[in-house]
Amino acid sequence: MKYEEAMKRLEEIVSRIEENKMDIDQIGDSIKEARELIRFCKDKLYKTDEEIKKILESED
Amino acid sequence: MESITLLELNGRVKSTLQFEMPDAYWVQAEISSISPSGQGHCYLELVQKDASGRTFLAKAKANIWRGTWLKLKPYFEAETGETLKVGMKVLLQVTVTFHEVYGYSLVVQDIDPTYTMGDMARRRKEILELLAKDGVIGLNRELEIPVLPNRIAVISSATAAGWGDFRNQLSGNVYGFCFYVKLFPALMQGDDVERSVIQALDAVAARRDDFDIVVIIRGGGAVSELSCFDSYNLAYNIANFPLPVITGIGHERDDTVADVVAHTKVKTPTAAAEFIINRIFDTASVLEEQTRRMSDAVSGRMNAENMRMERLSQKLPSLFAVLRTRQEQVLEKLDIKMQNGVRNMLTVQNHKLEIMEKSLAAADPVIILKRGYSLTRVGGRVVRSASGLKKGDLLTTSFADGTVESEII
Repeated sequence: MKYEEAMKRLEEIVSRIEENKMDIDQIGDSIKEARELIRFCKDKLYKTDEEIKKILESED
Repeated sequence: MESITLLELNGRVKSTLQFEMPDAYWVQAEISSISPSGQGHCYLELVQKDASGRTFLAKAKANIWRGTWLKLKPYFEAETGETLKVGMKVLLQVTVTFHEVYGYSLVVQDIDPTYTMGDMARRRKEILELLAKDGVIGLNRELEIPVLPNRIAVISSATAAGWGDFRNQLSGNVYGFCFYVKLFPALMQGDDVERSVIQALDAVAARRDDFDIVVIIRGGGAVSELSCFDSYNLAYNIANFPLPVITGIGHERDDTVADVVAHTKVKTPTAAAEFIINRIFDTASVLEEQTRRMSDAVSGRMNAENMRMERLSQKLPSLFAVLRTRQEQVLEKLDIKMQNGVRNMLTVQNHKLEIMEKSLAAADPVIILKRGYSLTRVGGRVVRSASGLKKGDLLTTSFADGTVESEII
């Protein structure tokens, strides 16, 4: 997943909760998903991804 | 026939020139060759070309003697940011000399940098007009910088101070953002800049999916030699580049053509790093904001649900009371119904009993005996017929008030 996509999904969930469009049974799952999305985004911002490092270090 | 020596002839030419042209002249020309000498002088060859630029209309040697060169060189470089080089248009103040051996040459007394700057500006303008006409000038600016531009292709010289500044600025960011930086080395000074930078751009383009953004940087020096970035080919490549290009080529003056077509132009490599950090800071802020909104929305929603439940539970006792009353009424009715039912049933049963009692009473032998009938038994068995009796049988006869024994004779 790309950072932009994760943010978009997160925005969607937040809006739905804010607009009361989500019933209480769904909220639990949504909170879980939102937490995962936030973690994903934070990792992208702050954690070095060894895979990307490897790709960049490889010669052309 | 009179004749003179070559030296005499050249001597006359020399004195005629000195006599006829003693003044200094401001001359516009293009440098076609330049070579500093070991003694600190500078030897130039000046030309004037026709409109096509292919044919020479005039040509002259020019010398800048050491004393003049020591002053003019730093002055010119400070004013223009450029070193004197081949192809440059210059306005020089010269005196005309003739030497018996070396012939005609000019001696440079002064230089007007504004003429060169004007020429460079005119060239920049021409290149920009051509780029605009070709419809590429705004192409790179139309690209959007991704929200997380942390995979950065850097085009710079590996030895440039700017490259180090850029990396230090990124790795020292106070927010702790991570970056992936790869250097694509290129020459950032001299005549090969155009070819070398284009080559590096091609190398980045070949693996464009690995990167979010391209940064062209170099450290500033005393002489920036910006004119190599006033190149149509280089600008065309930048404008058409599939990733956003940031330039930080270190200068304070007018933007080069490369700066104009780049997505974003900053002054220094450090500023280029700052620009990217700020972009990611914005992104991180949006994430923070979303996280806050999320928790607000959830706790808001939970509060609302709690209040709803609270309201319901407050209503419960009264609801229950109503319910209880209703149930009690139902029960009461049932109770009455049941009592009635039982009462009715008892009456019916009583009646039946009475009838049975009466019919039973009618059949009671005691009552029959009282009426005057008697009951005769022989050997305990009831005698219903006289024919079965014989002489000597003992009869037991029951009356209402007792029994008697008798014998048949």
